[in-house]
Amino acid sequence: MIPLENFLILSGILFAIGLYGVMARRSAILILMSVELMLAGVSINFVAFATYLDGDAFSGMVFALFVITVAAAEVGLALGIVLRLFRERRTAYVDAADSLKW
Amino acid sequence: MAPILLVLIALLVGDQITGPELVFWLAFTVIVLGALGTVLIPNIVHAALALIAALLGVAGIYVLLAAEFIALVQVMVYGGGVVLLIIFGLMMTNAQDDPLVTDGSQKPFALLVALLLGGVFVAAALDAQWGAETVSVIPFRDFGARLFRDFMVPVIIVGVLLDIALTGGIVNARPPLHADAESEGGAG
Amino acid sequence: MGMEQVWILPAIPVAAFVVISLFSGLIPRRGDFLAVLGMLAVVILVGFVLADFQGSFRNGLFSPQSGANEYAFDWLNIGHEFFVIEFSTYVDAITMVMLPVVSFVALMVLVYSIGYMRGEQRYGWYFAALSLFVAAMLLLVISGNLLQLYLAWEGVGLASYLLIGFHWERQSAAEAAKKAFITTRIGDVGLLIGIILLWRVTGTFDIQEIIHAAEHGMFSETYLTVSLLFLFMGAVGKSAQFPLHVWLPDAMEGPTPVSALIHAATMVVAGVYLVARMLPAYEVAPIAQDVVLYTGLITALMAATMGLVATDIKRVLAFSTISQLGFMFVALGVGAVTAAMFHLFTHAFFKSLLFLGSGSVIHSTEQQEVSGLGGLRKKMPITTVTFMIGSLALAGIPIFAGFFSKDEILHDLLKHGPLFAYVVLAATAILTATYSTRLVLLTFFGKPKNSHAFDHAHESPLIMTVPLVLLAVLATVSGFFAVDEVGRLFGFVGGIGQLVFEGEHGHVFDLDLAFAGTATVMALLGLAIGWTYWHGDAKRAEQAQGWSPELHQLLVRRYYIDELYQGVINNVILGAASVVAWFDKRVVNETGVDGGAQLIGFFGLRLKFLQTGRIPNYVLGMALGVLALAIVAFSKA
Repeated sequence: MIPLENFLILSGILFAIGLYGVMARRSAILILMSVELMLAGVSINFVAFATYLDGDAFSGMVFALFVITVAAAEVGLALGIVLRLFRERRTAYVDAADSLKW
Repeated sequence: MAPILLVLIALLVGDQITGPELVFWLAFTVIVLGALGTVLIPNIVHAALALIAALLGVAGIYVLLAAEFIALVQVMVYGGGVVLLIIFGLMMTNAQDDPLVTDGSQKPFALLVALLLGGVFVAAALDAQWGAETVSVIPFRDFGARLFRDFMVPVIIVGVLLDIALTGGIVNARPPLHADAESEGGAG
Repeated sequence: MGMEQVWILPAIPVAAFVVISLFSGLIPRRGDFLAVLGMLAVVILVGFVLADFQGSFRNGLFSPQSGANEYAFDWLNIGHEFFVIEFSTYVDAITMVMLPVVSFVALMVLVYSIGYMRGEQRYGWYFAALSLFVAAMLLLVISGNLLQLYLAWEGVGLASYLLIGFHWERQSAAEAAKKAFITTRIGDVGLLIGIILLWRVTGTFDIQEIIHAAEHGMFSETYLTVSLLFLFMGAVGKSAQFPLHVWLPDAMEGPTPVSALIHAATMVVAGVYLVARMLPAYEVAPIAQDVVLYTGLITALMAATMGLVATDIKRVLAFSTISQLGFMFVALGVGAVTAAMFHLFTHAFFKSLLFLGSGSVIHSTEQQEVSGLGGLRKKMPITTVTFMIGSLALAGIPIFAGFFSKDEILHDLLKHGPLFAYVVLAATAILTATYSTRLVLLTFFGKPKNSHAFDHAHESPLIMTVPLVLLAVLATVSGFFAVDEVGRLFGFVGGIGQLVFEGEHGHVFDLDLAFAGTATVMALLGLAIGWTYWHGDAKRAEQAQGWSPELHQLLVRRYYIDELYQGVINNVILGAASVVAWFDKRVVNETGVDGGAQLIGFFGLRLKFLQTGRIPNYVLGMALGVLALAIVAFSKA
């Protein structure tokens, strides 16, 4: 049996990598992809805990299911926004959206 | 990939690791390399491909965790839907004309913070006492029944949510109509 | 109507005040008759109260030693008797001396004013303010607790301010009113502190309870002395004793009837009344009592010397008032309540008579300075005679009232006080006779110095001369109230000696003939000196002035005390005030208020660069926050 810590470390690493991507990447779509990575990491965490520590491993898996669902919806919506940004500024770079600058 | 695979098989044969462990480490490698690729590769299209790899690796992990249903959903939704949407997005923003994306100005800080945070997670995971670990399995066929019995309300809400997201996406993404252009011109 | 209903007495003038001040324009004659009728009613009611008082006396309801009647109800009660303000009245022999004085003199002044103030602007307001004054004064003398007394005290101060400044169009009048109010205010602060100090130990404001506590040793002697000295400060201010005497001469800017009522007979005696009321407590704190004695002594002498050189008739009378009040405080200083109250009683009559008489002169000649008067006895006979009666009473010539009361004071001083004090006061008595003679001679005798004024002079109308006559009668006979037989004739238990008591000096008025003889001689001596120097054309006086012009100047300038005070105000008080003003401007306003705002602007200007508008920057911020949380949570776990 694979120890629980392995999965937890994996999820942590995945989350961290995703976080880096959100902060470091310029293109809006790349940021979106990094968010997906973060969500995946979180889901692994939940499922791992559900399987290993919860006698009835149901709730964790349902949560992961819902995360996936909402993530999908979110991507659809986010891409719409990216398209609007692209139309306004002719670029998908996120630093083009700086109207709230001082 | 190949050298790693060879190393792992050797370890398996040498009774150092068990079968499931081999699979785990394989999936681990795929996920990490894919994730790093997503966030580091300058070519935006290549980065998208790396994302696919990572997500499929995650599906493998789910299988190891005896959550086959989730693995299936992961493959279908992410691999099929989400990545497709992302590719469409790339097309609409003319990524093919200029696929190389330079990174943002705060790269060093981001790196630092991400490393620190990851470090905290790893330390926490290793440090904690997790108690008795048993693997509990949900029979596949019970999954659906239980989902729609115990979690009926969240399911319906998520359905509404998807509806809203769909509508919102359409409103955002439609090409500007003449009326839109006029109102935008007046209000803008 | 009896002693329990004595609260009605102030209520009538209050009603008069309200009605006249609000509706004077609509009432015929602007409501002056309302004030007069109200006062008449009060006088009659005082008679009833007096009868009730005497009745209780005779029926043995209370003994001569402790004759009193109390009535009280709680007005404010916090924390189960922790802090109680009550409305209470206390009627005893002292009250029964004050009530007839206040009400009768007020009535005389009001009637007189109808003639004196005829044709004045704001005629209605004059009567309203006078009614307000009388109401406050009556409330003051019936008060059973110190807080109520303080309320009334302030009330008379307010009325005094309003009346001194009645002709406020005249700069000097406005200034005088301000000076009076501020000077008495200094005293009032002391009074309030004294009241609070007394309350702290006894938990009550009730006068009798405080006295009882003092007599039974509830206070340490130092504490009691200090509290009583603070109370005395109020008396010093209100009764124009040294060093707070400076306002009274200036207060003569007010209309003459006002001076007669407020600054001769009633308000200025409030201080005497207060000390007389609290005297049993003062007896337990001999140092405080000595302060009273010496303050009165110094004031009496000082004021008499200043009265000797003053040239405005009213000013002379003002200094005389200050001096006579000093006499009363001397009496209190040796514990002679009877003598003090008796002198208060007689002084009220003859001093108000003198003031109203001077008003009569002023009204007919338009002159206040002695340099414009002279020889008026031919033109104004009634005024002259009544004025002379008043002066003789003031000087202490036998049969007139002042003789009896002043003699009583000197007698008690000799018996109970230090010898040198007696000598000083005796000298002052001689001076009193001197300056009063001087005033009479310069005003009514000799050659007229201003022929224009003299030609216009005429006797005053009946409405003014009748009060003069009535007061003159009283100035003549009121002295005899001291004698027991006379008192019994009126249905009292005895003379005024039986009426007012001196605590442990339980004393019956008796006439020591030898002593009375000495007093008479002194008075006649003073008269003689006065006549010598000021009769005819007063040549001798002018020569005397030539001997020592510096001394003369010293007295005329009132010992330069006014200049001293102004100097203190300019340098000390305004200096301290400018420091405080600097502090307020630089520290509080510029550094605190403006500085705070500028600080915010300073930081805002620099911190705004955090708002780059770029999302990745904000995400970094969030991530940092999460990182911090994670580290904290991890280190705690």
